[in-house]
Amino acid sequence: MSEMVNLMHLTPGSTIGLANGATAEVVSNPLDGVWVYARYLSCPSDVALVGTEEMIFAQDIVEVRATP
Amino acid sequence: MTDGSEAIARLLLKQQIEDFLYHEAELLDERRYEDWLALLAADVRYWMPMRRNVKFGELEREFTRAGQDINWFDEGKDTLTRRVQQILTGVHWAEEPLSRLCHMVSNVQLLHVTPSVMAPVEVTAKCRFLIYRNRVETETDLLVGKREDVLRRVNEQWLIAQRKVILDQNVLLTKNLTFFF
Amino acid sequence: MGHARIQGYTPGMVDMNTGQISREIFVNETIYQEELEQVFARSWLFVGHESQIPKPGDYFVSCMGEESVLLCRDREERIHVFLNSCRHRGMKVCRYDEGNTPVFTCPYHGWSYATDGQLVGVPFFREAYHGTLDKSKWGLVEVAQLCNYKGTIWATWDASAPPFLEYLGDFKVYLDLSLATWDGQESGTEVLGGIQKWLIPCNWKFPAENFSGDSYHNISHRSVDLVGIGPSGRSRRDLAERQLARRLHVCFPGRGHQTGVYVLPKDQPTPPSYQDSPVVSAYFQQCEAERRRRGGEWGRVTGSPGEIFPNTALHPRQPRTIAVWHPRGPHQTEVWRWYLVDAAAPPEVKDFLRQYYIRYSGPGGLTEQDDMENWNYAHAASRGTIARRYPYTYEQGMGHEVSHFTFDGLHIPGVVLDITDARSSEHNLRNLYRRWAEFMEAESWDALATWRHPAYAGSQNGQSRRG
Repeated sequence: MSEMVNLMHLTPGSTIGLANGATAEVVSNPLDGVWVYARYLSCPSDVALVGTEEMIFAQDIVEVRATP
Repeated sequence: MTDGSEAIARLLLKQQIEDFLYHEAELLDERRYEDWLALLAADVRYWMPMRRNVKFGELEREFTRAGQDINWFDEGKDTLTRRVQQILTGVHWAEEPLSRLCHMVSNVQLLHVTPSVMAPVEVTAKCRFLIYRNRVETETDLLVGKREDVLRRVNEQWLIAQRKVILDQNVLLTKNLTFFF
Repeated sequence: MGHARIQGYTPGMVDMNTGQISREIFVNETIYQEELEQVFARSWLFVGHESQIPKPGDYFVSCMGEESVLLCRDREERIHVFLNSCRHRGMKVCRYDEGNTPVFTCPYHGWSYATDGQLVGVPFFREAYHGTLDKSKWGLVEVAQLCNYKGTIWATWDASAPPFLEYLGDFKVYLDLSLATWDGQESGTEVLGGIQKWLIPCNWKFPAENFSGDSYHNISHRSVDLVGIGPSGRSRRDLAERQLARRLHVCFPGRGHQTGVYVLPKDQPTPPSYQDSPVVSAYFQQCEAERRRRGGEWGRVTGSPGEIFPNTALHPRQPRTIAVWHPRGPHQTEVWRWYLVDAAAPPEVKDFLRQYYIRYSGPGGLTEQDDMENWNYAHAASRGTIARRYPYTYEQGMGHEVSHFTFDGLHIPGVVLDITDARSSEHNLRNLYRRWAEFMEAESWDALATWRHPAYAGSQNGQSRRG
């Protein structure tokens, strides 16, 4: 199980795993420690979201899967 | 030279510098302003930057810049002399009656000594200050921070060649800066 | 717009027939609370300068009245002023002084706003809010009106307030004295880095009236004049032009703005200044010649301290600075000072002026220190039960003002009191308080925008007006 993620360290291009099982790629980081802007790579609970971009909240991010 | 004698020389030098800083504080607290001016080199640079609240990771923008931005002080010997003269006119209402001041100096560190501790000519010294000012009836200010000084040995005496005052405040919590740090 | 008013202010506390003003307006808590609604919530307030926010995402945290606001530039380069408070539960969305950001995020529950104020991030929007929160209704509170006037940013919370230029009225030409470059171009000034902020123990109206045109208090600055801190090393009044000029107090009764000015005689060249510094002296001499050439007859006019109602102080000539007296309760003011230089001035000139500004104004300023001491203890001595029974007198020069003043063929807009021989008047201070009283009594801007009423316009023509 991974540790809590500090969003201040997330760089664009990183892949993150979300609490609902989705994965997303960080597009930009406003460096507020609370949100990142990311594009869904997979989303089992709602496949319509794949390819879309939105702000992802810190508590919804469970791990960093890959960094560029 | 052995390590021992250099260590002793450094210890003695640090005591000398502390004694100097305590003597300077004494002059200011005793309102011996003209004697204080005599401790300043002719080319002294005395300045106090302002401080901003900045985001983590942007600390290089915390302080206003020397020579470019507005600071709380940016003085040479001439303007410091004028400030003293202003107090001594007896009609500088902001210092009339005179404030009661107590300069406490501590945490003195010698950061840099040239050419050597055995024969020092210039010393960069850092310290902490706590300046207590009490004025008229109940006005009281406590100003706390650090000072980075460059002291220069001239004719067997130390003189202040540079002083940077680092006050630990953002909005200034005292109504005026009629005193010296 | 109607609102419940706490009736703390009593008409008559500002008496323009006798020129007497009650001490209550400076020290009374109820009147202060009423002021926040009647004056600060309805006026145009100075927020900052565009040079502080040059790029998209740049922000500067400022104040309007007691309240923290964000001055920022959005991605489309539009300037905004927002209340610095999350719409959800109020936490400040920015506790830094200035910087650059794509969003303002609240650290309490994570709501996040774009630089155009839109609410763009709501945690658990789909889950906890079931997707039903209307985000478009919960963006940052934005000022009702904003104006960028030659780089200066002004804002008001009141949608019914006249637009800024109308609010300024004919005072505009005097504000321009603070914003034109030294060689007379309309714009091109910038703010030096470092906004001074400090607290003084007095009501905001003490500094406001002082800068409105208190020409009587030179004895306060006696010590500065004795030691000489001016750029030329002589007295504080280092500008020799003032010895040759007519000295005037100018006010705009319908607006509440006022200033002092100096007017040189026709064909009188401006004498040189800053002569202790040859580089600076030469620069200013060259600029001044250009300013006179560009300005024509109006170039004979230079400014001295002035005030835009209610609490923006101008110091146009030297030092060039804009100050705002932010209310912090009846007994305290937080001063913010901006210092201006020409963007195109050479570094030596900017540095010379920067150092002059530091030793003239602000808490380290040899001049401003004595002003503040007087405001401090004038306020303190006015708080007592007995003291409050005795009004202040502002009657100096009453009845000696004229509506159409000309000097050597140059018309000076405003109601003018010539103090060249009189040495002083309180004409401008009465103007500030007359307008303050109008704001305290008026239910709406309909009552305050008196210049829109034909009857008012008629009364302005050709008469010498009292008070």
